[in-house]
Amino acid sequence: MISETPKLQPIVPEYHVRILEDEQLDKLQTATLEILEQVGVHCPSEKALHIYAEHGGWVDFTHQVVKLPRQVVMEAMSHAPRFYTMGARDPSFDLKLDGTAFYCATDGCGVETIDFITRQRRPSNKDDVARMAQVTDYLSAIGFYWPIVSAQDHPKTAPLHELDASFNNTVKHVQSETVMGEWTAHYAIEMADVIAGDERTRRQRPPLSLLVCSIAPLAQDRDGLESALLFAEADLPVGFMSMVNTGSTAPATIAGTLVTGDAEIISALVLIQMAHPGAPVFHSLMPGIMHPRTGDYQSSTFEGSLLYPLGAEMAHRWGVPTLAGVFGTDALVPGWQSAAEAESSLLLCAMVGAETGSGLGLVESCMLLYPEAVLLDADVYHRVRNEAAGLDTSPEALALEVIKEVGPRGHFLAHRHTRTNLRRRQFSDLTGQPRLGGGYRDPLEVAREKANWILENHHPQPLDEAQQEELTRILKAADRV
Amino acid sequence: MTATYPPLEPLRTTYRLRFLTDKQLDDLQSATLEIMEKTGVRFPSKKALTIFAEHGAQVDWDSQIVKLKADLVFKALASVPRFFLLGARNPSFDLQLAEGVTYFTTDGCGVETIDFDTRERRPSRKDDVGNMAKIADYLPSIGFIWPMVSAQDHGETAPLHEIDACWNNSVKHVQSETVMGEIPCRYAVEMATVIAGSREELRRRPPFSLVVCTIAPLVQDTAGIEGSLILAEAGLPVGFLAMPTLGTTAPATLAGAFAMGDAEIISAAVLMQLHAPGAPVFHSLMQAWADPRNGGYVSYSLDSRTRYAPVEMAHHWGMASLGACYGTDSHEAGTWQGAAEVALDPYMAGLACADIVTGMGLSETYTLLYPEQIIMDEDLYQRARYQLMNLEVNEETLALDTVHAVGPGGHYLGQRHTRNHIRESLVRGITHQIGADGKYRDPREVAIEKVNWIRKNHFPEPLEAKKQAEIRRILTAADKEICKG
Repeated sequence: MISETPKLQPIVPEYHVRILEDEQLDKLQTATLEILEQVGVHCPSEKALHIYAEHGGWVDFTHQVVKLPRQVVMEAMSHAPRFYTMGARDPSFDLKLDGTAFYCATDGCGVETIDFITRQRRPSNKDDVARMAQVTDYLSAIGFYWPIVSAQDHPKTAPLHELDASFNNTVKHVQSETVMGEWTAHYAIEMADVIAGDERTRRQRPPLSLLVCSIAPLAQDRDGLESALLFAEADLPVGFMSMVNTGSTAPATIAGTLVTGDAEIISALVLIQMAHPGAPVFHSLMPGIMHPRTGDYQSSTFEGSLLYPLGAEMAHRWGVPTLAGVFGTDALVPGWQSAAEAESSLLLCAMVGAETGSGLGLVESCMLLYPEAVLLDADVYHRVRNEAAGLDTSPEALALEVIKEVGPRGHFLAHRHTRTNLRRRQFSDLTGQPRLGGGYRDPLEVAREKANWILENHHPQPLDEAQQEELTRILKAADRV
Repeated sequence: MTATYPPLEPLRTTYRLRFLTDKQLDDLQSATLEIMEKTGVRFPSKKALTIFAEHGAQVDWDSQIVKLKADLVFKALASVPRFFLLGARNPSFDLQLAEGVTYFTTDGCGVETIDFDTRERRPSRKDDVGNMAKIADYLPSIGFIWPMVSAQDHGETAPLHEIDACWNNSVKHVQSETVMGEIPCRYAVEMATVIAGSREELRRRPPFSLVVCTIAPLVQDTAGIEGSLILAEAGLPVGFLAMPTLGTTAPATLAGAFAMGDAEIISAAVLMQLHAPGAPVFHSLMQAWADPRNGGYVSYSLDSRTRYAPVEMAHHWGMASLGACYGTDSHEAGTWQGAAEVALDPYMAGLACADIVTGMGLSETYTLLYPEQIIMDEDLYQRARYQLMNLEVNEETLALDTVHAVGPGGHYLGQRHTRNHIRESLVRGITHQIGADGKYRDPREVAIEKVNWIRKNHFPEPLEAKKQAEIRRILTAADKEICKG
C-alpha cells in the first residue's frame, strides 16, 4: 500500500534579526578578499588550476596555490544566482529557495548506528540509509534528505548506494555529501537523470545536489572540486562547506575563524562560476571550536551556537543562499544536551533568513545514529517553527465577545469558540502522552515507538519500476568498475 | 570565611526583536480597555472597591465588579515608573532596571524537593529555601531571589519564613510570590525595613518586592490585592501576574488570552496607582494551555509562539515586565523534554528586553525542586547570554597576519595569537567537561557536583547579628499573631 507523504512545514519566520552590522560584514568581506588575494588557497587539481588561470586567477602551478584578485572574485560571484529551486521526485516537494522559507535536512554521513531492532551499536549500512529515508519522508519537518549514515557495506561505491537507498525511499530532494571525484560524479548525475526523467527537468528542477567540504586551512579537496565542476555543468546545485576549527585549523578568535572559512568557500564558488557562470551554488560555513584539552571539534559550545547564523549572514552578503548548521549535537545520547544545544541556534538561523540547513538526527558530533533522534529533533524543529511564526490578532483570535459573555469568574470550556479553537492548538506528540496507570510516558520511548510505527506503516510512493531497474543497472556498472 | 562572588551577568544586548507590530499592540490594548470598561474585573475587597469608587470608577458593590473607563486607566497609569530600582542587602547587587538589560531570578513556590542528600522526594521546607538561596547567591546568572519552594514546616507563616531564609543566605534582592494579606504584608514590610536600615532607605533601595497572581478569568484575589496595597504604600515594588489557560480560564486563542490576562493585570496596576501614585509596579503574563484530553495545565505547548509578546504589551503600557522562562512540564531534571521546552526561553526573553525574568530551577510545571536543575537552566542562560553579545570584528580578532603566517594547509597550534586567545575561545559549560576516561561527562552529573561544591564552599556574606535578631523577633511575633488567629 502506498502512503501519502505529509506536506512539508518549512519554518517561515515572521521576525527577522540582523546579528552583524553592515560595517562588520564589510570588514569580514574585505578580510576574506585580502586572504584570497594575498595568501591564496591550495588547489590540488590541474583542471581547476587551469580554469582559475584562464579567468584571471594568479596560479602557482608548482605549489598548486591560487591567488584571486578582488575584481576577479567579484566578477565571478556576480553570476551566482541568489534564488533557485531544488527539485524533488514529486514536484509538490520542490524547494523554492526564495528567501521566505527555511528548509531543513537530516544530518549525514554518520558512521555508526544503534540498530533498529537489537539496539546494539554497530557500523552503519545501506539499509540504515534506506530506513531513515523512509522515516524522514514521513516527517513534515524534513524538507530534503541527506543520506544520514554511510553505506559501509558497499565500501567503494558507498556514495552511489546511499543515493539509491535515498531515491527509493523518499520523494523529497536528495543532497549528497559523499559523491567525490569525477568518476563517481558521472554515475551520480546519471542517476539524477533517471529520477528527473529528462535533461530539461534535471536542469530546471534538479532532484540531486552536492555538498563538498574544503580542507582547513585554505585548501580544497581535488575530488570534491572535480565532482562539483561536473555537477555544476549539469545544473545540479553544489555547495561548499568549511569546517574550520578555532585554534587548530583557524585563528583562535571568532572573526578570524569566520574569514578563513569564508575564503575557502568563496574560492571554490568562484571556480564554479568561472567554469559555469550562473550555476546554482550555495555557501555553508560551519566552524567548530577546538576543545583546548582534547583538540576535538566542538560544534555546540556557548559561543559556537552563534557561528552558524553568522555564516548565513556572510553567505547572503555574497549574494548566495546558505546551508546553515542546525542540530549536530556533541551529546553522546539523545537527551537534555541534544535539545539544549539545538534550539536557539536553529531559531537564529531562521531569523537571519537561512534558506536551507542540516541536520537532524545524529548525536556524537554528527557520527552516531539513534533512529529516534530525528523524531526528537523534529519536535524541537516544530517548537522553533511555531515560535518564529507571528501572532494572530484578528477579531476571531481576540475573542472579545466570548470574554464578555463569560465574564469574571466564569470558564470557557463550554463555549463554541473554545471547541473550534482548541483543536487548532498544536501539542507535541512526544511529550504529555498519558501512561496507562497515570502519569506521562518518557518522550524518548514515544519517539522510538513512533519511528517503528512509521517504518511499519508509511510506504512512500515508489520509483517507477523502469527507474528502479535503471538505477540498479547504473549501480551494477559502477560496482563492476 | 569571606564570601567571594562572581560578578552578576545579566543579559545585555543591542539586538532588538519586535514580536508585535504597532497595530497589533494597539489592537491588544484596545481590547484590554474594552474588557475593563464593558465586562469589568471582580475585586473582592471592600478596601479596593472604595479606592476605585473614590476615583470615579464604576463599582457594583453587590457583584464586586469594577468597570474602568479608558481615560481613568490612562490617567492612573501615567504615574507608573517605567524603570525603578530593586535594592539588595549588598548595594553592589542593586538592580537598576534599564533599557537593554535583563535580570533573571529563580522559579518559586514549589511544593516538593528531591532531598539534597538522600535524593528522596519529600515535601519542601524552610531549609530547602535557605539552601537554594545560597546556591542562587553564588550564581552570576541570578540577579534576584524567589524563595524556590514553600516552607511547609512553618504552616501559615511560611511566606515570612521563606523570606527570612532568603535574606539569611543571599545578599541579593528578594521577591516573594506568597506573602498575601494585610497582616503578613505588614510583617514583611517590617522585615524589609530591618534589611534596608530605615523607612527612607526602604523606599530608596527596596530590598523586597512582591508578585501577586490574579484569578482567571477577570478576578482579583482578596489577600493578594490587600497585601499589595500595603507594599505599594511603603514604596516596595509589586507586580501582578496573570496566568490565563487557553480553553478553560481563557479563550482558546492566544490573542484573546493575552487581552483578558492583560485586563486583570492592568486593573490591579490602576488600583495601585490610584492608592499610591508613583508606586513601582510591574506587569507579568504567563499563558498556559489546557490539555484537551484531560484538562491538565500545560505550560509548554508545541506551539508556544510569541511567549514574550506580553513583555511588549507591558512596555506598551509604559510598565516594567516580569517575563516567564523555564518551568518545564518534565517530571525529572536533565531530560530531553526539560531542555526541548525551555531552551529558547532565555534567548527570546533577552531579545524581547524583558526587565526581569523568572525562573530557573523547578520541574514538573513549577512544583518540584531538583537541586541540580538550576545549574542546568543556568547553562541554557549562559548560551543565550553569549548569543546576545556583539561579535568583535577588529584587527586583533580578524588575525589576518596570523592567517598569512600559517598560509594554506598549515595549522594554528603554534601561533602566539592562538596562545593568547585559546583560553577565551571555548567557553565550557556543563556539557564539555572531560571525565577520567577522557570522554565527556553526563551534564547532569556535573550539575549535581556543582551544587554540592557551592553548598560546601560558598558562604554568603552573613546578615549582621543585630538584624538577624530583629528579624527573628518579627517572625516570632508573626507566628504568634497569625498562627493563633
